[in-house]
Amino acid sequence: MTARKELAERIEGKLAGRSGRSLWRSLDELAREPAVLEMLHAEFPGLPDLAEARVGRRRLLELMGASFALAGLTGCGPGEAAEEATPYVTMPPGLVPGVARHVATAVSRGGYADGVLVVQQMGRPVQLEGNPDHPASLGALDPIIQAGILDLYDPDRSRTVLKAGRAASTNGMLKALVDRLPALAADGGGGLRLLTGTVTSPTLARQVAALKRRFPAMQWHRWEADGRDALRAGALLAFGRPVDTVLHLDRAKTILAIESDFLDGAPGHLHYARDFARRRRAAGEGRPEEMSRLYAIESSPTLAGARADHRFAARPDEIEATVRALAAELGAGPAAWRQDAPGWLAAVARDLSASRGAALVHAGPAQPPAVHALVHAINDALGAPGRTVTYIEPVEADPVDHGDSLKGLVDDMAAGRVDTLLILGANPVFTAPADLDFARALAKVPLSVHLGTAPDETAMLCTWHVPEAHELERWSDLRAFDGTVTIQQPQTRPLWGGWSPHELLAVLDGETRPDGHAIVRATWMERFQGKGDADRLWDDALRLGIVPDSAAAPLSASLLPALSDRLPPPPASTGGGTLTALFRPDPWLRDGRYANLGWLQELPRPFTTLTWDNALLIAPATAERLGLKNEDVVELRSAAGTLRAPVWRLAGHAPDCVTLPFGFGRKVVGRVGHDVGFDAFRLRRLDQLWQLPGVELRKTGETHRLAATQHHQMIDSPDVVRHATLDAFRRDPGFAKRKEPEHSLYPPYEYPRNAWGMAISLDACIGCNACTAACQGENNIAVVGKEEVLRNRQMHWIRIDTWYEGEAAAPDQTLFQPMTCMHCENAPCEVVCPVAATMHDADGLNVMVYNRCVGTRFCSNNCPYKVRRFNYFNYSADDNRLPMSWNPDVSVRARGVMEKCTYCVQRIRNARIAADRENRPIRDGEVKTACQQACPAEAIVFGDLNDPDSAVSRRKASPLDYGVLTDLNTRPRTTYQARLRNPNPEIREV
Amino acid sequence: MPPPNNARRAGGVTGVPAVPGVFSPTANILTKLVLYTLLAALITLAGGAWFFPNTTYATRVGIAQPQPVPFSHEHHVGGLGLDCRYCHTSVEVSATAGLPPTHTCMTCHSQIWTNAELLAPVRQSLATGTPIRWNRVNALPDYVFFNHSIHVAKGVACTTCHGPVDAMPLTWKGASLRMSWCLDCHRDPAPNLRPKEAVFDMDWKPTAATPSGEQLMASYHIHPETLSDCSVCHR
Repeated sequence: MTARKELAERIEGKLAGRSGRSLWRSLDELAREPAVLEMLHAEFPGLPDLAEARVGRRRLLELMGASFALAGLTGCGPGEAAEEATPYVTMPPGLVPGVARHVATAVSRGGYADGVLVVQQMGRPVQLEGNPDHPASLGALDPIIQAGILDLYDPDRSRTVLKAGRAASTNGMLKALVDRLPALAADGGGGLRLLTGTVTSPTLARQVAALKRRFPAMQWHRWEADGRDALRAGALLAFGRPVDTVLHLDRAKTILAIESDFLDGAPGHLHYARDFARRRRAAGEGRPEEMSRLYAIESSPTLAGARADHRFAARPDEIEATVRALAAELGAGPAAWRQDAPGWLAAVARDLSASRGAALVHAGPAQPPAVHALVHAINDALGAPGRTVTYIEPVEADPVDHGDSLKGLVDDMAAGRVDTLLILGANPVFTAPADLDFARALAKVPLSVHLGTAPDETAMLCTWHVPEAHELERWSDLRAFDGTVTIQQPQTRPLWGGWSPHELLAVLDGETRPDGHAIVRATWMERFQGKGDADRLWDDALRLGIVPDSAAAPLSASLLPALSDRLPPPPASTGGGTLTALFRPDPWLRDGRYANLGWLQELPRPFTTLTWDNALLIAPATAERLGLKNEDVVELRSAAGTLRAPVWRLAGHAPDCVTLPFGFGRKVVGRVGHDVGFDAFRLRRLDQLWQLPGVELRKTGETHRLAATQHHQMIDSPDVVRHATLDAFRRDPGFAKRKEPEHSLYPPYEYPRNAWGMAISLDACIGCNACTAACQGENNIAVVGKEEVLRNRQMHWIRIDTWYEGEAAAPDQTLFQPMTCMHCENAPCEVVCPVAATMHDADGLNVMVYNRCVGTRFCSNNCPYKVRRFNYFNYSADDNRLPMSWNPDVSVRARGVMEKCTYCVQRIRNARIAADRENRPIRDGEVKTACQQACPAEAIVFGDLNDPDSAVSRRKASPLDYGVLTDLNTRPRTTYQARLRNPNPEIREV
Repeated sequence: MPPPNNARRAGGVTGVPAVPGVFSPTANILTKLVLYTLLAALITLAGGAWFFPNTTYATRVGIAQPQPVPFSHEHHVGGLGLDCRYCHTSVEVSATAGLPPTHTCMTCHSQIWTNAELLAPVRQSLATGTPIRWNRVNALPDYVFFNHSIHVAKGVACTTCHGPVDAMPLTWKGASLRMSWCLDCHRDPAPNLRPKEAVFDMDWKPTAATPSGEQLMASYHIHPETLSDCSVCHR
């Protein structure tokens, strides 16, 4: 006990010595909770829980003896089980068994395309990679798109047509639909309604237009719970017409992000992240004048806020008042708006004006239309159009206000005016605002057909449910944020015989045997007419993954006069007394459609690090006022109803409001996502989609354990993240360097061939977790479940450590540090392994030999970076996922085996074989690790340290380069580049 | 019936004649016999456990596998002189050598032996589109990642691992494929290397003009010091 006390004092001393500022990872760490300090020192903090198993000493000895005696039996297995080899009957052209093929297509996110290359092995998709030629991907991918492969192979997907929730025949469904057609034709389709999410597909738009010619009175409704209605409405206010705004962050010197999602979720966010990160890295690469400056004002923390040089937490009403004041400050609004402006606003306005033509303001989808209209006015005043923003025709087909559209449908359904309803890929019973009571209205529709990849809440309440072909199984087309079209091509036959939305719509149009390929092709044959050889253009589009030159042309939108008069009145200040609830999508589950994907459930959310749960997020000061601690269950009361939710205190959250992440609490969903978290949709109302004022919190006295990973695998030193302001860096470029031990008792290794190494730029990292997800997919990393995460046993090989600096209420800085195996030259793990299961190889990799490992966990205990993961149970074998969904290039680990980052040794080996076959060295950039490939910000660079010209060597030559815990003389191969901040000297530090 | 314990002890104390022997004289011999038998059994077991995996029974080396179609490499390779790559098309570019699709069989057998009873499963496979399910002859554990293309590119011949395929009426395993067997060559590849043009040659013999193993190693840029890394085959 005294030893622990001593350690704690030592840490306190360390922190105290740091010139008044300290870095911390969680509020509990900041408050020096003893339990947290304990976690800091234990490699296996989950172990004491095992005492709860109550195995007595005798029983334990019996079990140990039995397992010792029986261990030998495992060697007496059946030997080589008779295996079969099954060749093709006819080999598909171009296929080489054992060689991966990359096939271009796109996967949608909120209706918008992200270009992907599907890695195929023997004709079966095994992984998704970004398509470097696609503007929305540029080779990177976010966690949601990556999990698409898990979604494809989800064993809980819909396999059969359902009638009122029971298995039925496809023919029955077709007959029901076809039988309705004469009656529909008779009244012009007045009772025919179509409900979809956001649609960008030109083919679907063409089909609906054709249907409307056949049934002129039919209506097409749209509902996207996590939609962008406010942006559309804002553009209507400002320009009188809907436009989409494309950002050019590569040209932006000064940026203001108003709870913006340009780094986490906006269509095109991967593209934006790359442009943004390139300008942030500029200073470290010797071009300090190019470094951009980012301001953020927000209620609920966003990734853009975390990267901001100045971040201001504010209530939603304060945000709108501030944006009005900024507009006035920049001459885009009446001077009266200037009152009550926060003190820092003038400086921000000056800074934005000073970079006229290189300034950019962007607001997120949860901001009201007035803010978006003002943002357009401000951008106009800053000379942004044509430079840092361009306007294009809306990418969404036939854009409408989703809220109005859904309300129109529900009103008509309730009034009995709808007799045939087709729901394509949407789940409105779960996601529609609660005040509409979609389920009750749906019961009045005589024939409702739901098309979905999984039996969900809506499927159960519709007359018919039809299994939908996954996006990787069907022909379709999609448009990206800038309008670029990708033709989606199937990567496999539908595993469970699903239908595409195009095929189902074609049935309405009178086709009895619809063919998705023919339908999509017809669209493009028509569009390619007169542009050359249409067949060839079609083939090119499929091969490239984009239709060349299909990006929307910029248009000039001019502001309507007298914007200030047409704006809706600003919301009344909610003041400090009452609470406002903010509805925000869960970063991974979005509107709940990804709830059954274990990768996403277990991927820690940015900031909260929560897995397998959502929580009511609240500012620490507000929580203190209400006497709330983490994991306290509160009852939230509002005019819209009540809700019980566990509390999570979040540094940097605006005071007097609470965030309710939606997408959780699914009731009809597969085995993974069933009843995980609480359902915030239940409080959402059509007129209050993003915020609900006047809520009260009441402590219930109960607690709910939350599986947050923030205290897991903590490194016992705040010096692992290093950062400085641009000015400090100019004065002392070597600020990140520390004196390192020069001598070692171990003889040095020699690497005659390659010496693989990695550089991770904290200056670029935006904390999006794409690397963690990519690693999970590439390396067959198991999902362990909430119980095991609570025991500190999540298996991710690369984790994002989140560090804060400053006050809990408003941290000056949020730093993200991807942490993975450092592949040390003097690896502490290697010397303690009794069976040489972890070894140094000829290229300097610290390799892990699974079939040698006996599970002593000595290596993990000796690793100062806490990056080793142990298979306490047979996680992989216990997973329901289909065997064919694993990456065939990587071993699937069994129980009792240690694992950790291998630098994607399978990719290195394949590149080595390809190079050796041709008797040439491996080229720089030929080996990309999965994390590097997925990273939108190019934060991770991997390559050969023996080559002084390699990208990684150049990155490591930066003055910002430093190693973590180098005072232990581990000599890590992975090094970091310190974060630089570019604060405005006119704004005083808080 | 021996007296109860306490009676015996009491007798000893009061000077009654010595206790009769508990064990008969043969007990010593019996004990030794049992102990030595146990020891011998242990040694035999341990030795058996050591040697068993090397027996052909365990490795299946030289034991012909039954197949749905009794395909003869002896006839096709030895007799007709077909090149390995005619059927195993991906051996030079991929990890797997590749098994021929039914279509490859039918390139010839749509012309010759078109009605042979033996080939009925092949014809049926083509007609119904159902693959022929061969019994695998060479199987590796899932944690071993072997690559054919690099071995072929570096002068390791087919017969070096697969044995005299041209003499196999039904195919059998040519080598144990145990890790020690792999490592023998990875540590000292020179004796097993051939000039590139001889890799697919069934009955190649080195001549005086053949470069030595060491020379071949140099020309192929083979560095045995890197070949015994675990990560070469295990990922």
